[in-house]
Amino acid sequence: MTPPTPRARPVAPVWLDRALAFAGATAALLSFGLFAWLVWDLARLGLPRISWTFLTGEIEDAGRSGGIGPLLVSTLLILVCCLALVIPLGTGCALWLSEFVRRGSLAARLVTGGVDLLASVPSIVFGLFGMVFFGQTLKMGFSILSGGLTLACMILPILVRTTLSALEALPADLRPASAGLGLTRTTSIVKLLLPAALPGIVVGITLGIGRALSETAALIFTSGYSIRWPSSFWDSGRALSVHIYDLTLNVPQSGAMASSTALVLLALILVVNSAAVALSEHWLRRRHQTS
Amino acid sequence: MNSTGLSRENDAETPSSGGHRTVAASLSVSGLSVHYRDFTAVGGIDLEIPEGEITALVGPSGCGKSSFLHSLNRLTDLIPGCRVAGSIRLSDGTEVTHPKTDVLSLRRRVGIVFQRPNPFPQSIRRNFEIPLKEHGWRKRDIPDRMETVLREVGLWNEISDRLHKSAIALSGGQQQRLCIARALALEPEVILFDEPCSALDPIASGVVEDLIHSLRGRLTVVIVTHNLAQARRIADRAAVFWVRDGIGTIVEHGPAERVFTAPSNPDAASYLSGARG
Ligand SMILES: Nc1ncnc2c1ncn2[C@@H]1O[C@H](COP(=O)(O)OP(=O)(O)OP(=O)(O)O)[C@@H](O)[C@H]1O
Ligand SMILES: [Mg+2]
Repeated sequence: MTPPTPRARPVAPVWLDRALAFAGATAALLSFGLFAWLVWDLARLGLPRISWTFLTGEIEDAGRSGGIGPLLVSTLLILVCCLALVIPLGTGCALWLSEFVRRGSLAARLVTGGVDLLASVPSIVFGLFGMVFFGQTLKMGFSILSGGLTLACMILPILVRTTLSALEALPADLRPASAGLGLTRTTSIVKLLLPAALPGIVVGITLGIGRALSETAALIFTSGYSIRWPSSFWDSGRALSVHIYDLTLNVPQSGAMASSTALVLLALILVVNSAAVALSEHWLRRRHQTS
Repeated sequence: MNSTGLSRENDAETPSSGGHRTVAASLSVSGLSVHYRDFTAVGGIDLEIPEGEITALVGPSGCGKSSFLHSLNRLTDLIPGCRVAGSIRLSDGTEVTHPKTDVLSLRRRVGIVFQRPNPFPQSIRRNFEIPLKEHGWRKRDIPDRMETVLREVGLWNEISDRLHKSAIALSGGQQQRLCIARALALEPEVILFDEPCSALDPIASGVVEDLIHSLRGRLTVVIVTHNLAQARRIADRAAVFWVRDGIGTIVEHGPAERVFTAPSNPDAASYLSGARG
């Protein structure tokens, strides 16, 4: 309240504080408004069509009518493939970087550098790589497997980075505490470090899921266009995002369908992410309270 | 099982019996030095640490007390570039510094408690289950073991109803006693304390000090402390560290009584009298 020296002029006048607060509030409002407008616009166009038959039905008339059932299944299967590869690979890589090599060593710098470079590769390049490597070299062809694995490569850097920073942010005395009790490294990692870093790892997985579900370019050449019900990971299957792209670009008078599909995709991301968070919280709580 | 306050575990003065395999071990240190890359932090250490006694290590900041203490159970291995030379022999002949020594079982036998309480960020129960399981305790024996040591540190009555709650939610003093209990649970022969009270308020500090004092006779205790009055109160033997020619070393050691009242080394004398350090 009272200035340190009487009559000393404040360095920054009070109106500047107010202006800054106002500018901040405006920016926040605009950001939220953008989100709200986007959702509202999608809902206005897409919501009327959404029904159980839309969610489970097959595509008709090139997507102008019918549903998106097979695509929903394909999308989920692609995601399963992707996560099954990227979670062990990403956590393993981050664990190795944080627990097994010295920070700043040549090996560590090479790996982090490589991972960071991966993060800046455009997704269309991942698509081409996936088509050649998974599709042709590994003979997976146009398949859900090809698509999922390509996505895994694409979101790997996100997972490595978030897991690594979660591990590095752990209290520094956790490691001497466990070493001082004669715990093996494995016990220390599995029972102490990973559970403590889990919330951070889940954030990484959540971001990765968002990225993966909204990806188009990496999937067009890998999991392909097929709109039939997939019967295995080896089948081609069109992802929701690819469908939206296809409708918008190639199918006239399908705008409402595209909006409905986009709405479903948005809801899917929300559901999968909340499931990931809830699962990890449940697991942590159990870990905390029982053996 | 359901021991009440009158049970044997609660009486910390008697050497523990009944199921404890704990025997104190002595440590015999000779020609020890600790190096951080090219820098020699500690050198020329010869020290006998008798079994069942409390040995206090005192000296000004940075003279290598922690480095020395951590070399006693090879925690120095964790620091990249740190090297320990010389000999540390346990009374059964185990050579601590030998590269083939089983470090994990060594650390069970020579436990450590740090300056800052460091319970695992999990439930109180998990804090005991993880290390006990690791060292071969059967699952069904763990609750008893945990109760015994929690009683020894006087925590049982305070926390027995929230063993499933996070250990991080305890007060600093409680956390430190939990860490002591966790170290004791593994039935160590030697326990190292690195300034165990300096992060605690005076009352909690007094509780922990009494607790350490109560270990006397059952375990070999080595404690680093900046609190000379504390060292005087609890130590049987004392060693004064001092930096000589840039290298930390022991300039005075022997029975605590003599070291504190009639030190022969002038540096130690001035440090202990509060004139320097
Ligand atoms: N990890 C390390 N790397 C390099 N030098 C270190 C490391 N740890 C300690 N040292 C150095 O070794 C010397 C002894 O440090 P140490 O921590 O053993 O002293 P201390 O007596 O425990 O001090 P304090 O009373 O402040 O805890 C110091 O000069 C310190 O700078
Ligand atoms: Mg120290």
